[in-house]
Amino acid sequence: MTAELLDGSAQAIAAAVRSGRASAREIVQETLRRIEVRNSALGAFTDVTATRALAKADAIDMGRARGASLGPLAGAPFAVKNLYDIEGVPTRAGSKINRDRAPAESDATLIARLEAAGGVLVGALNMGEYAYDFTGQNAHYGPSRNPHDLGHMTGGSSGGSAAAVAGGLVPIALGSDTNGSIRVPSSFCGVFGLKPTYGRLSRAGAFPFVASLDHVGPFGRTVGDLALAYDAMLGRDDADPAQADMPATPVTQTLEDGVAGLCVATLGGYFARSAEPCAFSAVGALARALKAERVVELAGAEEARSAAYLITMVEGAALHLERLRERAADFDPDVRDRLIAGAMLPGAWVVQAQKFRRRFRAAALALFRGVDILLAPATPCRAPKLGQKTFVLDGQEMLVRPNIGLFTQPISFIGLPVVTAPVWTEGEKLPIGVQIIAAPWREDLALRVAWALERDGVVRAPVAKLSP
Amino acid sequence: MTSNPFDPEALVDAMAPLLGLTLTPESRAETMVHLGIAAEQAKKLLSVSLDDREEPAPVFRP
Repeated sequence: MTAELLDGSAQAIAAAVRSGRASAREIVQETLRRIEVRNSALGAFTDVTATRALAKADAIDMGRARGASLGPLAGAPFAVKNLYDIEGVPTRAGSKINRDRAPAESDATLIARLEAAGGVLVGALNMGEYAYDFTGQNAHYGPSRNPHDLGHMTGGSSGGSAAAVAGGLVPIALGSDTNGSIRVPSSFCGVFGLKPTYGRLSRAGAFPFVASLDHVGPFGRTVGDLALAYDAMLGRDDADPAQADMPATPVTQTLEDGVAGLCVATLGGYFARSAEPCAFSAVGALARALKAERVVELAGAEEARSAAYLITMVEGAALHLERLRERAADFDPDVRDRLIAGAMLPGAWVVQAQKFRRRFRAAALALFRGVDILLAPATPCRAPKLGQKTFVLDGQEMLVRPNIGLFTQPISFIGLPVVTAPVWTEGEKLPIGVQIIAAPWREDLALRVAWALERDGVVRAPVAKLSP
Repeated sequence: MTSNPFDPEALVDAMAPLLGLTLTPESRAETMVHLGIAAEQAKKLLSVSLDDREEPAPVFRP
């Protein structure tokens, strides 16, 4: 019974705990057992907060015993990318260097909010160093491995987050996405991921990478769980100066509103080249299911990707310059040398990038006056093999690491909300994701579309078949 | 930019001491690769003509 619950949704776990069919302690104990058994293969967790989790579970069970009202995530385990502050744990951000820092004095805002809704934090998750990564590989802690084929990448940088959800260790995980770090692992590991609008959710207590582009958001195996987690995390937080002053509008109650009346289009041009056929087949499957016949162009996407690339290099380098001076040998070389290069780029390039960002946003907003949802590939291919350095796109050999995010970067560049939804093909072990993109602040629409596609079996996020 | 070929080697050797960075030969070589990629990206971006009066995206509000 408990094992079945853990393969299901956070929503179902919470319902079972609220009704007394399962205790939060049973759920957490089984979760900890699964982590113990499966994590050596997956490389998903770097820290397990067992004592804290069991104490929280007991508090939930005691609350139920005395008739207290339990939250929408009551007893549901979750874990966070290890760039989120967890009280008492050093915030690694995927690095060896940060492990030497003092333990965090308090939890990141989003952890506190999920726990206030009844969620139970069970640990911190592996990630690419300082989030500058699309592979999920890590020179210090080993790679996170794709639960659907352990010889393949999870994608990154939130690789452990996607591995933990796809591997059935937790139903919900938090990640961050600067250029695609939620959407890429969602695509490679076959889970749902939500990158909300830039400025929507509080980044307080999350270790930064690129202030201009950093987003935070959840992974889940159901769209309903994404919505539940998102709703629980909404709300103003004065500790995050980048957060927008927008009303907190919950989405869970709107999921079943359906897609009738929504205008869905597929992105052409830049988003219809430089990928393997499976990426376009996946987009086509969603378009057919949604009867989306229109193809539209988002002018400037290629330049937008270039601009995001350069802003990332320069802001990332500025953040880490002192560490590059003092502890260069302690960086992952694949990350370090990109950061060093970023420190040497002309300032004029970044100002041009930020000016172009405003222009590109205007182009996207104009497009959204005629459509509600845009579809695009999340990644140009299924998960590459671990260690793979190059791939061939449109007949051209390209480096894997900088190019996995070529479809995600233009979208996060202007902060659009995206649900990544996984598509499976008969006979293939690995999935591939599609970006369901909405206008700024319309997470509700992207989630509604994803929910309808999940209901109709077009997209799904099964637990990988691993040892028990 | 098109009239002045981008020279990653000159850039890395000039900037590393200015930034207080000491590079191993391997790191220097990889840094040059990444400078080359950045220059390709910049070439695309700088080909866009932007008016002097266009505002950058981030606007500071006191």
